[in-house]
Amino acid sequence: MSDRGDPPGALPGDENSEIEDLTDLFENAPCGYLSATPDGRITRANRTLSGWLGYPHGELVGRRFPDLLNIAGKIYYETHFAPLLRMQGFFNEVALDLLGKGGQAHPVLVNAVERRDAEGAVRFTRITLFNAADRRRYERDLLDARRAAEQATADLHALNQTLESRVAEGVAERLRLEESLRQAQKMEAVGQLTGGVAHDFNNLLTVILGGLEMVGRQLENLPRGPATERIQRAASMAAHGAERAATLTARLLAFARRQPLDPKPVEPNRLVTGLADLLQRTLGETIALETVSGAGLWRTMVDPGELENALVNLAVNARDAMPSGGRLTIETSNAYLDEDYVADIPEPVPPGQYVLIAVTDTGTGMDKQTLERVFEPFFTTKEVGKGTGLGLSQVYGFVRQSGGHIRIYSELGQGTTIKIYLPRSLIGAAAVADLRKEAPAHGGSETILVVEDHEDLRNYSTGVLRELGYDVLEAANGHSALEMLQTHNDVDLLFTDVVLPEGMDGRRLSDEATRRRPGIKVLFTTGYTRNAIVHNGRLDAGVQLITKPFSFAELAAKVRAILDT
Amino acid sequence: MTLAERHNVHTSGSGPRAMVFAHGFGCDQNMWRFVAPAFEDQYRVVLFDHIGAGGSDLSAYDSATYASLDGYAQDVIDLCRELGVRQGVFVGHSVSAMIGVLAAKRAPELFDQLVLVGPSPRYIDEDGYVGGFSEAQILELLEFLDSNHMGWSQAMAPVIMGNADRPELGEELTNSFCRTDPEIAKRFARATFLSDNRDDLDGFVGDTLVLQCSEDVIAPQAVGEYVHSKLPNSRLIVMSATGHCPNLSAPAETIAAMKTFV
Repeated sequence: MSDRGDPPGALPGDENSEIEDLTDLFENAPCGYLSATPDGRITRANRTLSGWLGYPHGELVGRRFPDLLNIAGKIYYETHFAPLLRMQGFFNEVALDLLGKGGQAHPVLVNAVERRDAEGAVRFTRITLFNAADRRRYERDLLDARRAAEQATADLHALNQTLESRVAEGVAERLRLEESLRQAQKMEAVGQLTGGVAHDFNNLLTVILGGLEMVGRQLENLPRGPATERIQRAASMAAHGAERAATLTARLLAFARRQPLDPKPVEPNRLVTGLADLLQRTLGETIALETVSGAGLWRTMVDPGELENALVNLAVNARDAMPSGGRLTIETSNAYLDEDYVADIPEPVPPGQYVLIAVTDTGTGMDKQTLERVFEPFFTTKEVGKGTGLGLSQVYGFVRQSGGHIRIYSELGQGTTIKIYLPRSLIGAAAVADLRKEAPAHGGSETILVVEDHEDLRNYSTGVLRELGYDVLEAANGHSALEMLQTHNDVDLLFTDVVLPEGMDGRRLSDEATRRRPGIKVLFTTGYTRNAIVHNGRLDAGVQLITKPFSFAELAAKVRAILDT
Repeated sequence: MTLAERHNVHTSGSGPRAMVFAHGFGCDQNMWRFVAPAFEDQYRVVLFDHIGAGGSDLSAYDSATYASLDGYAQDVIDLCRELGVRQGVFVGHSVSAMIGVLAAKRAPELFDQLVLVGPSPRYIDEDGYVGGFSEAQILELLEFLDSNHMGWSQAMAPVIMGNADRPELGEELTNSFCRTDPEIAKRFARATFLSDNRDDLDGFVGDTLVLQCSEDVIAPQAVGEYVHSKLPNSRLIVMSATGHCPNLSAPAETIAAMKTFV
């Protein structure tokens, strides 16, 4: 029996049992236990730890604890954890890797505490080791998950950035389109303004020029003297200025693209040859120009000025496609577009005989996407400010308005061929050439009905025609003109402005007059016209036009020529 | 900010000469808490933290400057000049032993005497030189640190310094001891264990005491003997203290050994 006062009911031999119990608790606890001297030498290690590390029981005693660690653990233990333990008397939950007898790693969490005696001296250090294999695995999974999440976030961020850039591209595209639209609207507005101003100016200039001519003619009837000579000089100076103004307004109308097409029988070879110098200058020295003229080439009925513009446009495009030089070939030949061919073309093109003008460069070529849009107004592959995006559209519009067909072939890196098919003209070139200049500049006695809403202009025209000896009737609008035609059945020529007020324009008046009075001849006049007389910007066949401002001689010649046909 | 503030300098004691204590790799000036007070009666005692350690200004840490021991040595020179140290005693533990040699060679007016506790000019064995570690072991250490293993960068963080994820644990464990940014500790380990300053021992004739522990795995006795053999005016004392930090584990023996020298 012990003298400690065992609890009632305790059996003899319990002390041994208690020691056995505690020994079992120490040896087989679910964690590793170590006792060590203050400098880390192991004095006791439990079976659990020996079992983990694969050492026979008792073999750990005498080793230093840091010797059980991998190299990193050993260094950090000596430099960090031993000092920490010494300074604060413990450390907790330090993640270390123990090395087993065979060298395998055992992840553990280590707690250490110093045990001191009554004097405060360190008796031993108690080190507790928890198996942290699972925890380490979770931590690794957690780290992996965190890395994956960070990666996903980064990917998402990248995606967002792409999205932003895609949105930015979309917005930029939209802005570009809006810019194009604005540009188009601006061009339209400038065109309207220019055309309107030029139209009014033409009317005024016609009056001014007419007045000055009248002054000149009247002066001839006056006795010559210093006063009349001064008047003569002043009048001719004024006339000179007015003519220059007329030239200027013609340019403005050209800019506004409101001058009607003036189709004439054209010999394409001659036109191309005549244009060669200009084209070569346009192309520059690094690009060779070659023209291949087809033999026996037909004539075509187009506005030669616009055809020249079209070829210059194509040459400019070709030059820009050959920044490091190349060759531009312009080839002409006769062609026949058959039924099968035209059936595949989206726009209506009648089968038949055409003159082909093919323009080929050795430039960069275009891809399919570009080709699909290349005729669209404002579509351009050039930088902002380098091109209007209208060049090919203008060519396309011109060819279509001329009753022709345009086809483009292009291969990236190979070059581009643009083929312009213009309808063959059967009219002899000489028959209508320079009608105006060759016409006799004298008057006649026929009856002419002048329809013009602008009073000054009407007075001018009627004055000229009366002076030329014609019998002149006048009306300020279409309805009055028709009434006059009812009462005067001897009108030989209807001379009418295209633009007339009160719902009946020159075209309708002409149609009605012709219906009522078959055989009546019609001469139109206009400053500009996108209106009735011009069908899609092209003069209707057989229609005669005199463009404002016109001179006495021009009007006399034109009127006489029409009356004589 | 003065250099003294940047290095978390603490001065105490008084005397005609200064005794400057420099901590090594791991921990901070707390390493000297059991030793430094013993010299306050005769010396102006200066304690400081290297940049990146303890209470130093972490924002002053520059990985290029501190990629080698030269950056740390220059800090010692600049700091001691600011503090007006002349003909003082430099006490350097672990890697700071060599930092002290570098500083003393460059600025001989600063220190008359050097105490090198567990010095090592080269930790890796090479061509007959015994540094204590094979190259493979040091590479394993560095690889281990670089692998960003949870055991070091994450789980060890609350021990070495406060961890944002478990602030209560970090605070409890570290108190004011051994605060170290794990990233900086990694770089300091690289600068320390890849250093080779054996040639810098050549030509140093300063009065030097080498304190060598028994069973020091970081700086084995052969290394202490090497340092002693290279320095003509040096004395070697092999202590009975074990481990790498006799200033903590055996302060009395350390103080006694130092007092035989200074």
